[in-house]
Amino acid sequence: MKRRIVVIGAGIAGVAAAWSARRRGCDVTIVSAGAGASALGGGAVDDVPWEQLVRSSRALGLVPRARPLSDDLHAFSNDLGAWSLADDRLAWVATIAGRLRPARGRDHALLDFGALGGARVMLPRAERASWDADAIAAGLSDDPFARAHRITFIAADVPVLRFDEERRVADGDLALRHDGEARLAWLAARLIDGVKHAAANAVLVGPWLGAAGSRSEALSKLVGVPVGEALTGVGSPAGQRFEAARGRLLAAIGARVIDDRVTEIDRDGGALAITLRHGASLLVDGIVLALGGLIGGGLSYEPPDHRAAADLPSGVRAPFVLSLRAPVTLVAHVGADPSTAEATSSLHGPDIDVAAWPRGDRPGTLESAGIRCNGARAAEGITAAGEVVAGRPRTALEAAAAGIRAGNEA
Amino acid sequence: MKTSRPPAVANAIKPKRRPEVDVDVIVIGGGVNGVGVARDASMRGLSVALFERNDLAFGASGNSSGMIHGGLRYLTYDPQVTESSCRDSGHIQAIAPHLLFRIPFLVPVDSRRGARILFELMDGFFEAYDGYQPLKRGKSHARLSADEVRKLEPGIAGDLVGGMTFDEWGIDGARLCTENAIDAIERGAKVFTGCTVEQIQRRDDTGEVLGVVYRDRTTGVIGRMKTSVVINATGAWAPITAALGGLPPERARVRPGKGIHIVFDRRLTNYAIAARTIDGRQIFLEPWQNMSIVGTTDDDYYGDLDDVRSTSEEVRYLMQGMARVFPQIRSARAIGTYAGVRPSLYAFGPSEDNLSRDHKIVDHTRDGAPGLYSMVGGKLASYRLFAEEMTDVLSELFGRGVPCATHKSPLPGGDAVCDALTLATRLEIDAVAARRLVYRHGSRAERIAERIQQRPREAVTVCACEPVLEGEIRYAVKHELARTVADVSRRTRLGLGACGGMRCAARCGQIVAEEQGLPPREGLRQASAFLLRQAAMRAPALGPEQARQDALGIASMRAELGVDAEDAEDRDEIEATAKSSVEATA
Repeated sequence: MKRRIVVIGAGIAGVAAAWSARRRGCDVTIVSAGAGASALGGGAVDDVPWEQLVRSSRALGLVPRARPLSDDLHAFSNDLGAWSLADDRLAWVATIAGRLRPARGRDHALLDFGALGGARVMLPRAERASWDADAIAAGLSDDPFARAHRITFIAADVPVLRFDEERRVADGDLALRHDGEARLAWLAARLIDGVKHAAANAVLVGPWLGAAGSRSEALSKLVGVPVGEALTGVGSPAGQRFEAARGRLLAAIGARVIDDRVTEIDRDGGALAITLRHGASLLVDGIVLALGGLIGGGLSYEPPDHRAAADLPSGVRAPFVLSLRAPVTLVAHVGADPSTAEATSSLHGPDIDVAAWPRGDRPGTLESAGIRCNGARAAEGITAAGEVVAGRPRTALEAAAAGIRAGNEA
Repeated sequence: MKTSRPPAVANAIKPKRRPEVDVDVIVIGGGVNGVGVARDASMRGLSVALFERNDLAFGASGNSSGMIHGGLRYLTYDPQVTESSCRDSGHIQAIAPHLLFRIPFLVPVDSRRGARILFELMDGFFEAYDGYQPLKRGKSHARLSADEVRKLEPGIAGDLVGGMTFDEWGIDGARLCTENAIDAIERGAKVFTGCTVEQIQRRDDTGEVLGVVYRDRTTGVIGRMKTSVVINATGAWAPITAALGGLPPERARVRPGKGIHIVFDRRLTNYAIAARTIDGRQIFLEPWQNMSIVGTTDDDYYGDLDDVRSTSEEVRYLMQGMARVFPQIRSARAIGTYAGVRPSLYAFGPSEDNLSRDHKIVDHTRDGAPGLYSMVGGKLASYRLFAEEMTDVLSELFGRGVPCATHKSPLPGGDAVCDALTLATRLEIDAVAARRLVYRHGSRAERIAERIQQRPREAVTVCACEPVLEGEIRYAVKHELARTVADVSRRTRLGLGACGGMRCAARCGQIVAEEQGLPPREGLRQASAFLLRQAAMRAPALGPEQARQDALGIASMRAELGVDAEDAEDRDEIEATAKSSVEATA
């Protein structure tokens, strides 16, 4: 009989785990209760947090460089089909805050400035809350990378919104409209005029280019110059595109998906028993915990005094809890001491007031708490990957790499 | 920054005014007392310059509960103070009707020993207070049964004998300061924010005040302004300021008491609810603007006044006290805290709560520094009176017979009513956005509306939580002395909602930089600084929901800006690295 693996969570880490476990011939089921950080991501595919990359390069006086990635990671990325992941160089993407930042890879729709040295980039004006083309153009023109590579940005009056209500619809809805060929052709016609007028040789737009998949390549072909999106930190259609790509990949590899929430994992002889909230329980040989961190809800922060109506909380408990019961150990980096792994010696909870957010190279408590792992292994038969793992960078490639490893080991 | 000479006022008799001065009076401090004096003195025909080291309402004035109460606690031993407090609360309400919010208080009385007697005493006490309520448009108290208390606020716990209501009003302290400053400017005063006084210059022989040396903290430019009178209205900074004039700091001593408030994401109750802390201090849960707050702590403070932060301990102390009366507070969603340092009158010995909230003017002539005055103590509710008393001294000094009119003349925006719904229809904006705009600006919302009608793009909502429109941000930079994202936030409440500025800080930075002709990266640096500061103020109160929101906030900030304050200040180096990379590839 095939080895039965259940992956809990369908974000980047979970899909990568399912993909690698299937490659090894396992029978794979994914249990997912909904969207997490991957579905909210903006489409920058980092290996390490980019500020760290910039900072360490600066300290060494070097240009930030792409680090090589494993063949498995490239294979997974190709199969997923949502990302551009160059072998040898970083992508440089524009954020809607007006910065140019390096990324190891990117969602296909994001415009890459790494190969656009000397370009004159047009930003069409649109009356949308998060899109002030003039301010973004001014910010990007002032960016050190742009200045060093003589990339200039100009805002231009090019109609990109077709209907009045498009001033207010969400980025995702606008992106969805560009899935249609007719609408894309309409946009291309407008941009062609704009590009001619502005003598531009690239176009940067908001995160609007497709919900089912990137429309950037098709649009670029129609317009004749590269057209791509700017990066939005959270809630971008890049998340929708990931979800669409995931659906295609899971169907292709033949992984079963159950829409449910796992409440408990128990040992049952040599196997593991998974209790679902709505469905029947499952008996399996290996489990990958890829349920996400604080953002996705795999982990939550519950200081003991929260909901304790009386003067004192009823007892000491660790402030971070998993969304399911499982025989794994949680680690929370509270304060300066990275080894604190238990309930704080306070009835009220930890003092995370200083340490909650990252500072310099030290990760914040909120993004470093999670399951203690040895490699991918969290316990006998249980591996973990993605943001639920303690002390690992919260990036897309870290999640994918960890997922592949966890899938292999499971 | 120039130190242009103000136009001389012709017909006045000026025994004190020397011909070589730039201004009659220099006020140091942009809190409510400082701007109050600047306004009053300008109204009475004096030329005034005000220097503020940080921003208007940066300290206690912008970080209080906003209550302009009638001094209930003075009633038993000093009814005159109660009367003057109530009267002045009424005056403030009259000049800034748009900035008010009603705070009906509910005081539950639990049935411990002697509670019945206490209840009767309270009834009598509030009845006496009722006599003063008409002075400040307050309603009379109501005596409630335990059932009635629970009917009004079902969340109140405990075995009650009953409760009392009493009526107070609140005001947006930061806007109160801004509008006083704007009015002063419109009457000829010069107000310099982000500009710190480094020295108060005095004559070697007579000790008389000659002027101040100041430094613009943004540009680093140092300037000098001549005057014969300097007013130290720097609140908790008062002893530091006195030292700048060569006086021993003790001559303007205050007892600095740090107070924090916890902010919740919505109005949790209809009434403000009074409670007690473990050490018997009175605290409250107060519906406040479009949120609720719990406050206040009062602890002697020995730290950096420019960077006052709340701690987990302070939050827990307040929550413990509040939860005894209103247990649901433990599961409510705290979205932040704020903190300030009160400048109470100095006394060595009494506990913080027993310190006088009275105010006094120190004439430093007796310290050999004629022309230097310190305003110490005071509270938000009596700022106008304090400013009047200070300006009376000035008026006499300069031989002016003009009486004070700050209680009659409305603050900017307080002169007429502006209908929010009409405004919403006209500008095609959300009715809530229009209501908040009118709340903050009163009749001057019209000016922002005109801006937006000329440039419809500015109707875009930048901060969705509050909400704040782009036009208002631009207006705050152009007309209300906002220079940074944090300044805009103080004036408009941008970025203070549940999302913590995740969506709006960078956008606001872009606008602020553009309006001032600053490089865009300065706007981003300000946005980063604002976000990190807000995160630090949220952290002590984090619960599950806000922790999740904060994790998303970190991810979002990292994606768009980078979570690295040092990086934000150090971007030239990246540029150098990038340049060298071009050279290397060339």
